[in-house]
Amino acid sequence: MTQVDRLTCAEVFRRLDDYLDRELSPREMQLVKAHLEICAACASEYAFEAEVLNQVRAKVQRIDLPSGLLAKVSRALAAAADEP
Amino acid sequence: MTQSAKQTEFESLLAPLLGAAYGTALHMTRNREEAEDLVQEAAVQAFRAFHTFQSGTNFKAWFFRILTNLFFNQYRKKRREPELADLEDAPELYLYTQTQSMGLHDRNTDPAALVLTRMDSEQIGRAIAALPEDYRIVSSLYFMEEFSYQEIAEMVDCPLGTVRSRLHRGRKMLQKALWQIAEAQGIIADLTSEKDS
Repeated sequence: MTQVDRLTCAEVFRRLDDYLDRELSPREMQLVKAHLEICAACASEYAFEAEVLNQVRAKVQRIDLPSGLLAKVSRALAAAADEP
Repeated sequence: MTQSAKQTEFESLLAPLLGAAYGTALHMTRNREEAEDLVQEAAVQAFRAFHTFQSGTNFKAWFFRILTNLFFNQYRKKRREPELADLEDAPELYLYTQTQSMGLHDRNTDPAALVLTRMDSEQIGRAIAALPEDYRIVSSLYFMEEFSYQEIAEMVDCPLGTVRSRLHRGRKMLQKALWQIAEAQGIIADLTSEKDS
């Protein structure tokens, strides 16, 4: 990779969320990855943000469906199905 | 197809994602009863429009778009103010900076995990619920359901760039909200005293 192909810390920082979410182009993903491999400060920030995302996702997805909601929805659908 | 067969097919697609729909509706409305009503109404609306759903495409994204539209059109006016103040000025890397200034980066344990493993689902949910509405909606769809930026853009009917910037700001605000809740719950004080002992 040549010098002009490298991203600065500021450029990586601006792309950190998108990198985390795999929303960059393959080329940009590669450029950010290459920077994170050689820059301890950016790698530390990235690891931290990735862990925040993992922790939040792991906990926020556990919401129990209220008992009876499935039956309630089913009844509402049956009523809708009977509509002329 | 008879109405009964149509209902059976529709329910077989809807049932596995009802929990996810309820969770997202709860974050949108911040009210259990309204969330149940929103899911039920979205189900009926989707059932009536089921003939427009193209078999083989993403049913979940299709249904969540209906759910989100219904929220914007009928439930939005009932919104409540966020619980936590001053989230909008949250700086970049808020949790990273806070944990660093508390000296929590010196340990072997991951500093983010150090704080967040001590927070439960209810506290994390409360932090998301505290976000201003535009940020809360996209953050819920993103954190809970892992929809792509493009899918969220279609659901909330916004340009992709708007979703990207709302998610970016939403994350910053969420980190500040998480920190405020962790402080209020004594989690930060516990970590500090453990570090000093």
